[in-house]
Order: sequence, then structure tokens, then C-alpha cells
Amino acid sequence: MLQYFFWHLGRIILMSTEQIRNFSIIAHIDHGKSTLADRILELTGAVSEREKKDQILDDMELERERGITIKASAVTLNYEHEGRKYMLNLIDTPGHVDFHYEVSRALAACEGAILVVDATQGVQAQTVANAHLAVENNVELIGAVNKIDLPAAQPMTVAEEIEHTIGIRKNECFHISAKKGTGVRELLEAVVALLPPPPDRSSEPTAALIFDSHCDDYRGVICYVRVFAGRLRVKERIRFMGSGRCHSITELGKFTPKMTPVDELGTGEVGYVIANIRELADVTVGDTITDDAEPAQKALTGYKPPMQMVFSDFYPGNNTDYPKLRAAFEKLTLNDASFSFAPHNSPALGFGFRCGFLGLLHMEIIQERLEREHDIDVVQTAPTVSYDVLTKDGMTIRIDSPSELPDITKVAELREPFVRLEIITTSDSIGDIMKLAESRRCKLLKTDYISGMRVTLEYKAPLAEIVYDFYNVLKGISHGYATMDYEFVGFEKSDLVKMDILVNKVAVDALSLIVHRSTAEARGRRLITRLRKSIPRHQFEIPLQAAIGGKIVARETIKAFRKDVTAKLYGGDVTRKMKLLKKQKEGKKRMKSIGSVQIPQEAFMSILDSAESE
Amino acid sequence: MFGKGSSKCRIDGHGLYVHVPFCRTKCRYCSFYSVPIAEYDTGVLVDAMIAEMERYELGRNVKTLYIGGGSPSSLTHEHLLRLVSEAARRCPAVEEFTVEVNPGQVDKGLLCQLQTGGVNRLSIGAQSFIQLELDFLGRGHTVGCIREAVQQARTAGFDNISLDLIFAIPGAELDSWKYNLQAAAALAVEHISAYSLTYEDGTALKRDLAASLIEAVDEDTERAMYELTIDELAKAGLDQYEISNFARGSFECRHNLNYWANGSYAGIGPGATSYLQGTRSTNSADISKYTEAVTSGTSAVAESETLGGFERACETAVLNLRRRCGIDLVEFKRRTGFDAMQLFAEPIRTYLKRGLIKKDGRRVFLTREALGIADSILCDFAIV
Repeated sequence: MLQYFFWHLGRIILMSTEQIRNFSIIAHIDHGKSTLADRILELTGAVSEREKKDQILDDMELERERGITIKASAVTLNYEHEGRKYMLNLIDTPGHVDFHYEVSRALAACEGAILVVDATQGVQAQTVANAHLAVENNVELIGAVNKIDLPAAQPMTVAEEIEHTIGIRKNECFHISAKKGTGVRELLEAVVALLPPPPDRSSEPTAALIFDSHCDDYRGVICYVRVFAGRLRVKERIRFMGSGRCHSITELGKFTPKMTPVDELGTGEVGYVIANIRELADVTVGDTITDDAEPAQKALTGYKPPMQMVFSDFYPGNNTDYPKLRAAFEKLTLNDASFSFAPHNSPALGFGFRCGFLGLLHMEIIQERLEREHDIDVVQTAPTVSYDVLTKDGMTIRIDSPSELPDITKVAELREPFVRLEIITTSDSIGDIMKLAESRRCKLLKTDYISGMRVTLEYKAPLAEIVYDFYNVLKGISHGYATMDYEFVGFEKSDLVKMDILVNKVAVDALSLIVHRSTAEARGRRLITRLRKSIPRHQFEIPLQAAIGGKIVARETIKAFRKDVTAKLYGGDVTRKMKLLKKQKEGKKRMKSIGSVQIPQEAFMSILDSAESE
Repeated sequence: MFGKGSSKCRIDGHGLYVHVPFCRTKCRYCSFYSVPIAEYDTGVLVDAMIAEMERYELGRNVKTLYIGGGSPSSLTHEHLLRLVSEAARRCPAVEEFTVEVNPGQVDKGLLCQLQTGGVNRLSIGAQSFIQLELDFLGRGHTVGCIREAVQQARTAGFDNISLDLIFAIPGAELDSWKYNLQAAAALAVEHISAYSLTYEDGTALKRDLAASLIEAVDEDTERAMYELTIDELAKAGLDQYEISNFARGSFECRHNLNYWANGSYAGIGPGATSYLQGTRSTNSADISKYTEAVTSGTSAVAESETLGGFERACETAVLNLRRRCGIDLVEFKRRTGFDAMQLFAEPIRTYLKRGLIKKDGRRVFLTREALGIADSILCDFAIV
């Protein structure tokens, strides 16, 4: 079947689905995914030398700063191979452990993927994780060993690792240098020659998958789509099968990489849909778009809604900023469908929001964006995970904050989330890493040598123990070499208790936490010490206590300050002194009041201690 | 801009302050701007300062005069007396005229001349009655000099004498401080100012502290010393009327009371501050810049700020609360236009509850317990 589309140079070219290739590049962080994407864009003429800016697809300033990709981006490229013209749709993906979901969405829109591995680093945790995701989504893999230009490159060894861990045959791996461009043309040819085209379902009722979305200030929500069946045409009325809502397509187009309007997107094609949708919330990523007049019978399958693993409560530093904070969150969700926030009221901290994140990196990114783009002071509680509470009368409640725990007398069983944790490291750090894992209640499932010096450790780990700083500590003790990936496996029973923190005899719900009984007392003592150091002295003495089930397990006291007065205040001193007093007052404002005690932000985060950071 | 015949600044309040930026040597704890007198042609500056006096409409409005510094007594007698006479001449209705002097820098002759010149109050920089402490502070005189200065002042006819004291000097203990208080009280002076030693940036003392060569008195002892000051001086008939100031009967320093009432004043000399018609301005501290500005008829002001209604109200509250008598609600309303009980409702309520503020009729004031930690309370009045 023939389809029409407009090329960005204005030429009309007829093509069949056979000439389309939808592919992604997957890799561990810094293995060269984005550089390869740049080279491919150059090679296919999508970007002229003049327009070239390294790593073109990384849109946000933040992404560029951190060297990671947060959003998936899609580009349509021209390519000619053996006299025939091809349309290559390249979808960029994030590489960090927190963003499995975004990777899987991008992969579901593809038939193939290039798996890139750094020739000096070898197979790493996200190499494996991403490869698994590709296989789960029926995506064909082409292996590419990158950075062969570097003196430390060991392409043959790495190709063997790839064969051992992923199954791609070592003599079928391409050796490339994305930076220099070596082998990239051959790789592109392999994309055409080896990756399957999208199946031709052009005569079926229209079904297009929304694999990502983005909210633009002027144009509203932009849906990134992959057309699986039928076709989309501008001005047509479409239905979103999940939400049931209908819209008219106001603009249809492709990314070349600039947004380039077209009249039609056919089967197998990738592009964008603008349909006068103002709210990102109206678009569910994973939803199917179909023709309202002749709709498809069934929606496309394969997506799971993003799973939030980490929760934290955000409160405005100043109560009057509550609407400002809400507006900021609303704006942030415009471009991040996996971040959620819901109004939450804490007896201690007042009105705020319970926020859900894919992981710690996701949370940090939101924090930074909040600060950078919205300039609001927030007080934030330490990130927690959710728990399942089995009550004595047989109900199961999911809680994502310790303060939601029902009365202990009503609780039959507490369950915490477990993950399958995979760590890839050099063999000389195995001992230290195993000690770390053990101290975090991880259970070793498997060890596997992927090469002479490198090993995979597979653990079953309580998410609560690794969600905060496990990754950083791991990096530290392995001198940066270890990498990790985790995948949620389920909630399981654990010997957990709730620890309350009392400040000035009042229990502060925002500081309470759920801990494993074995480490509870030690944890409590460390926590109280940290609190004592982070809460400033007041005009009165402040007792700090940690309690488990009514029993005090740790106690310290913050002494009152005894002197805080300026000796001389005469005419010439007034200006300076008033400035200082105002600063003193401003300092108080940045803290949260719990009764008459002012508690700074650091105190809330201090409950996340780890023995290593003492 | 300024000069004879053109418009002058009215002082609708009380005070005129004259700043003498010279010292013979710099004390180790001092962060005030002052320069070694030996390096300067003081005559030129004195002329400039007298010229600056012309810029203000002085006259009968001025009720208090204060010559401070630096060390006014480091000037030559001739220069000091000239400043005294020029100031006195322009302020015929002055009721209190203070000059700060250092022990060892005055003699009977000078003191008599000051008396006849119109000075009726002397503030003597005693600091300590323990020689080791005086040496530690770098004061350059003996304990004997202090007693001598007081005696000479009495002989010269001064019936209003104040001593400055410093407590919490490294090495001091509660007992040694008690000794100092009693020694000072024994001199039967009318007024004592007692200040806790502070370690200011840029001072020799601060450097020594940072290098751990000296150890500051611990907080609890320092607080105990402060409390002892209030009690010991009360026993000697000197009642506390401001955080650091104690006076017998009605011998409070009226010039300073004007500051704490947030009244107006003009400041003459390099680095001196004026507060007139709601604007506070500070002269350039640089002696050459100051002198040049004054002699060329341009403004010598380096910094100034004009305060809005709320700011003025906050400053008034903070200054008022330094006084033991605190805020007088009627006076406050008259001066700022605001009702203090409403404007500061929240902190007043909080501190009333905590027993750190008390209200008695039209007075709102810090309690005894609050004095030592006054800043932690005053900051809540610094901004609304």
C-alpha cells in the first residue's frame, strides 16, 4: 500500500512501509548514545554542519547539565541505501535506572534498537536492563561497541561480554566510534538491512500509540505518536480510546528534528499530533488514538502505568506560597507524566503535597526544576517508599507515608516493596559491595562473571534500603566502577516497626519512619543525634526523643542559648544592627514551626541517615 | 549644595554628636574607625568639622551634645577645646554636654578647661580595674590612671561622671568581674556602661581567637556575669535603664536616651551618622574624602537611607525595647503613627506567653530574663 508524506525539503516522495525503520538507541549512561544520535543526524543530513550543536536532542538545560536524557525525543531521517530511499525514525531514550518506563514506551514504538556499549567500560547494569526491556517489547537488537578510538578500548573483549550477557553474537557486533564517525555509516546500513520494517497494517482501522507527550506554551499538548494501523490525517476527528475524549487534529507532523507539518502520518510512521489539547492530564501516555468515524476495535497493548517508587512531602516554606507551589507542580506535570502530586495535610507541617517519583534521580530533577524555574522555598520530608498494611480484619491498605500507618493494634502484618537488584562491578570490590548489601538486608541470589575481571551480583533487596543513598555509597566503595539497576518484584512481609520522633514532647509526623526491627534502636539513636545537630538552639530547652511503640529508645536535649544580645546600640549602629536583626528573622522564616520549635529543612532530611555517612 | 546662607538641615530632636576619628594607639578589641593621630594634620580636620557644623540649623533645638570617637582626648588640648567651644557656641540651650576621655590622656588643667567650656558630663574609658586585663586589651594606661582621672574630674567640678567597663574578657571569672564592678562602684560615679567583650572582624583579638591563642569566656559564665552586673550595680544604687547602661537617680545619659527613643540627631565628622527628618545618613569615614567634601562645599555623606513608615516603626520598637522601660504606647503612637500592640501583636503575644515580655499599662518591655537574649526577641520586631 502506498502512503504519501512530505519531506522536509518539500519533495513529495512515495514510499511503502517496507522503507520505514523505527529504531532506538539504548545504552548505559555515557556509553555514547547521544553522540551516536548526533552522528546519525549529521550523516542523514538532518542537521547541517552549521546547525550542529553537540548532542542536539538533549533539550532541557538540566538534561545537558547532568548529561542525561530525561525526555524521549523522536526524529525522522532521510537515508538512501543501495539506490532506495528509506525513512528512519530515531527515538532517543533515557539511560538512568529511574526511567525504565520512559525507555519501555520509546521501545514499544520501535521494531529495532542499536545497543551501544562503551569499549572501555564494557557491559554495565543499564546495558543489561535496557536489553531486557527491548526483548520484552519484541525489539530486534543490533550490537555496537563504541569508543573504539580510545586507547583503552577493548572491542573484542566487550563483544564477548555482550554475547555472554545479551546473546548478540560477537562477530555480529559493529565496532564504531560515534565521536569520530567510524563505522556509523555501516551501522546505519545495518539498520536498514537487518532491522525489520513495521508491518503493513495500513488497511486496518487507525490505531496510533502515544509513546510520549510534551506541553508547549503556545501550541498546547504535543503527542508523540507511532502509527501502528491505518493513518492519521490533519483536520480529522480522532478519539483517545483510553479517556474516551475526542479532538480534531489541528496539526500533524514529524521532527526533522524541527517540527515539520505534514498532511498525513501513515502506518509505521512516527511523528506528532497537535489537537488543541491544553492539559497534559488529558493525554495518557500509552493511550491509543483512533479515528472517531471508523474506530479500531481494540486499543494497542503493552504499557504499564509508570510505577512510582519514591514519595516525599513538599511544603511551602511560607504558608502563603501554597498556591504558588501548586501552580509550580502543575507546570512541572505538564512535561512529566510520571511525577504526581496530591494535596496533603500534616499536623506538623501544615498544608503541602504528597509527591510521587519514579526514583531518587527523578525526585532530584523535580527539586532542581522547582528551585530553578519557580524560585520557591520548600521544606521537604525525607523520601519514603510505600508499604502494604494487612489489618487484622483482613484488609490490605497501601500507605506511602509512615503517618498513615493505622494503630499498631490493628495491624496484622506489614509488607515492604522488594526489588531485584543487579550490580555489575569489578571483582576487586566484590567483598565491600557484599558487605554493603548485607548491611542493607539484601539477599544474594546469584553471582555471574561476565568476563575475567567483572562480575554481576544479583540481589533481592528491600527498596527502602536502597532508595536513598545506596547508589552513591556503591559508587564510592567501587571507585566509581560499579553500576546498578533494579526492578520492582513485589511487596513482602517484613519485621517492620514504626518509629516516632518527639520534638519538645510532641510527636512530629513528618519525622516518623518505618524501620526494620533489627536496626530500629541504633537508627533511632543516630537520628536523634543528627536532629540535635541540625535543629538550632532556642530560647528554651528542647528534648528530642525517638520512640517505638511508646518505648523511648533514644533521647537527647538541645540546650537553650544563654546569650544573644548586642552590647552597644547607638546612633551609628542602628542601620547595621537592623539589617542583622532582619536577617535573624528571615532565618527563622525559612524553617517550619512545630509548636514553638523552628525546624530547618536539613532536619527533615536527616532522618535518612546511613551508618556510612556518620 | 551646602554653605553659609543656603538651606540647612533642621534638627527637630535633641542631639549633636561630634566624632573624633583619632586615637594614640588602637586597642586590640576595637573595630571602630579610627586612625593613629600621629599621622595626621588634625588642625585641618578640626576646621572641616567646625565648617560642617554650619550646615545644620542648630541653636536652641539642640539639648544634648556628645563628643566621642576614637579618643577625643588624643587631640591636642587646643583642638579639643576648640571643638568644645564651637559646639557650645552654636548650641546655647544644651542641657547635657558629654566628652569621652581616656585615663592617662587627661589632666587637671584640661578637665577644668572642659568644665568652663561648657562640658558638664565626662565619660571615662576605664574598661577594667585589673592591670592584666587592661594590658590584654591594649589600653595603654594603668588602673591608677582611672582613679586619678575620676578624682581630677571631681576636683574640676564634674558632678556627672560615667565609666565604661568590659566583661567576659578571656581569663576572667565571675569573681574577677565582681571585683571590677565593686571597684567601679566604689568610685561613686553617677553612671556606668558595662559591655560584654565582642570579637569583631579585623581586630587583633578576633585574630587571636581564630588562631586559638585565646579562649572566649563560655556562654554560661558570660550570662552569669551579665546578671551579676545588674544585681551588683543595683546594690550600689546604679539602676539599669538600658541593656548595657546603669545610672544613679536621674543621671541617665540623655544624649543616648534620644537614640533609644529614636529621636533626631546630627553627626559631625568622618564616619558620623545623622538621623534627620526620617533619613539616616553617614559621612564618609575617610578623613581626606571627608575634609575635601566639606571644604569644597559638597556633601560628605557616603551612605543614606530614608525610612518608610513601617521601617521607622520597627526601628522605634527595637530601640525602645533596649530600654528597661520599653515601649511607651502613647509615645510610640505619637512618634510613628502606629499602635504598637496591633503592629506587633504576634511577637508580643508569643513573648508574653513565654514570660519574656511584660505589659504594664502603657508600657511594653522586656523582662529581666529576656535581657540576656534580647536579640532573639528583637528580631521579631525588626520587620513586619
